[in-house]
Amino acid sequence: MNSYLKLSNFSVVELFRHCCRRIFGIKRPILYLLVFATALLSTNARAVPAFARQTGQNCLACHAGGQFPELTPYGRLFKLTGYTIGKRSIPLAIMGVFGSTNVKGPAATGPGHTATDGTLTFDTGSLFIAGKITDKSGLFAQLTYDNYAGDTNASGHVSSDNTDFRYADRIIDNNQDLIYGFDVNNNPGVQDVWNSTPAWGYNVVPISTGFGAAVGPMINGTLASQAVGTGAYLYWDKTVYAEISGYRTGDGVYSFMTQGNGQQLYIKGENPYLRLALTHEWGAQNVMIGYSYFDVEQYTDPTRTLTNHYRDNTVDFQYQYLLDPHTFTAEITRTNETVNYGDAGAVPDTVNSLLAKASYTYQAKYGAALSYFNISNSSNNAVGGTLNPMLASASEMAGQAGTEGWTPEIFYLPIQNVRIGVQYTMFDKVNGVASGPGTGTYNGKASGDNAVVFYVWGAFGN
Amino acid sequence: MKRIIISVSVLSAVLLAGCNTTESSRNLADPAVPGKVLAQQVCSNCHGIDGNSTNPTFPKLAGQQPEYIVSELKEFKSHDRSDPAGYQYMWGISRSLTDKQITELAAYFSSQKNKPDKSDNAKLIAEGRDIFVHGIPDGHTPACATCHGAEGTGGGNGVFPRIAGQHADYIAKQLRVFKDTNQRPDGTLMKVITNGIPKSITPEQIKAVSTYLSTI
Repeated sequence: MNSYLKLSNFSVVELFRHCCRRIFGIKRPILYLLVFATALLSTNARAVPAFARQTGQNCLACHAGGQFPELTPYGRLFKLTGYTIGKRSIPLAIMGVFGSTNVKGPAATGPGHTATDGTLTFDTGSLFIAGKITDKSGLFAQLTYDNYAGDTNASGHVSSDNTDFRYADRIIDNNQDLIYGFDVNNNPGVQDVWNSTPAWGYNVVPISTGFGAAVGPMINGTLASQAVGTGAYLYWDKTVYAEISGYRTGDGVYSFMTQGNGQQLYIKGENPYLRLALTHEWGAQNVMIGYSYFDVEQYTDPTRTLTNHYRDNTVDFQYQYLLDPHTFTAEITRTNETVNYGDAGAVPDTVNSLLAKASYTYQAKYGAALSYFNISNSSNNAVGGTLNPMLASASEMAGQAGTEGWTPEIFYLPIQNVRIGVQYTMFDKVNGVASGPGTGTYNGKASGDNAVVFYVWGAFGN
Repeated sequence: MKRIIISVSVLSAVLLAGCNTTESSRNLADPAVPGKVLAQQVCSNCHGIDGNSTNPTFPKLAGQQPEYIVSELKEFKSHDRSDPAGYQYMWGISRSLTDKQITELAAYFSSQKNKPDKSDNAKLIAEGRDIFVHGIPDGHTPACATCHGAEGTGGGNGVFPRIAGQHADYIAKQLRVFKDTNQRPDGTLMKVITNGIPKSITPEQIKAVSTYLSTI
């Protein structure tokens, strides 16, 4: 019944909009909010997404303090054992983000409203296909509609998003515990179960400002929905996790995992990703310290002759305290990237990324978070290759670049599958400078890029 | 192309392998999966492979009275027990378990050895021991040991659960559930006891007795 009601809500959107405009004069953003709210009201406590339907459990069983997508120790085991706990169910759920982003400096202009002019709108929506396939295999796949794919009004499109197929088994009794599995995914790190990997740990709210236009290392999502990786992993005695995967260009038979994500990036052959993590749990606390190495050769032009060689070394840390009514989590991720250019005589560059986040929730309802970012790079060959918008002269390239700032956030979960929040991202530096003679959004100050983000983020299924 | 075909074939074979296994299944809706397998593959994620959970959100089941485990799983399955941690985690887990699986799960965990926690708060432990042994005279609250046994290991064919060696936070939460709510109809007696006349058990007394119990 609920499914019918919810489906009905969306199928009558056009009719509803027409009537609202004609009869009540309601504008589109308000209309979307009304539809969104109606969809929320048509759900009940059982109306939870695909995995929750499969296990029958609440979101907070797997998500720390109810903050999706951050996982609890149980949520990690659920994922590592191939999403197979529970009973096979309809593997569908939807997610939507309704919100606004208001940049401090003059917003970009375009036909209609733009992504940063503070207009309330429906930003992004996803369809999840997620669940147990057999007793030892399962999947998590996401198709996403991005309303701002082109940064102009209504230019959005649907694309393949995070995808993770796995087969896993567990040998466990009082004397031994070994989980082993195989994985196919489309985003380096998305297969990870700790939330200090860039795929899950930072900017998890889909419309976050993040670290602006700074050029991060390859592991920070450059190959998300562009490459496809296959790998194997072990988790021994809930203490040592080890994984080896190889990533290749997501074209040909794999292209269903990379559809709709703009121009295809090409990487050379198989590119190794190695991951090691040590974990410990005591009382209500658990901790992880990990390392990953990602080695990628990316073609620099369509003729696929020269490659740039990226080597990312990442150290990450996660801490959680989980005991009702308190949840505290902290994550730190430090990546050092070396870039060797294919062009003869080019001097190597480095890119450094430091991301940190701490969050607290009370009763899995009221939350606050603070994030810090610091992305920098050498510019022997102008990593990123963009003009510095902070500076007046178009000929000036970024020097020793660095983008740094903070994002405080507060949020509220009125029901377990809806999160409403406000973030404010403050830029201390953009491309290495805090102020300059530039114009436009920055208006000569890094703080011109500061942005307020309001969001209503929900996930549904029944 | 050859590599792609090989990759897809291997992947398909891997994904389809073990479709009908019960030896290491995590399928909670398959009556053919033995309770012991579910205990190891699913329950152990929170309650520990030996029934001694790490996080106090989840009670220790090691050494628990088997009849009590059976009765609680049936309370979860029927939704009669509705304390938050119960319905958030256990309604779904228990919804398709058969009576046979429930009995086997109970047998598995009750046969494990309980490992008590440690506390160095001697004053709190002494206060708690006093309540356990003598009750709270001015609240007309009887001694815990009267029903739960001198060792706190339970009895009465599982009517009275083991409370010895249980996480202090879990005991304290359940005492508050008994005292302040009607979410556990199986604990009607505990509701009367914790709301003693003329005085209910206090938060300090709950803390003391739960701390003591966690250490024995």
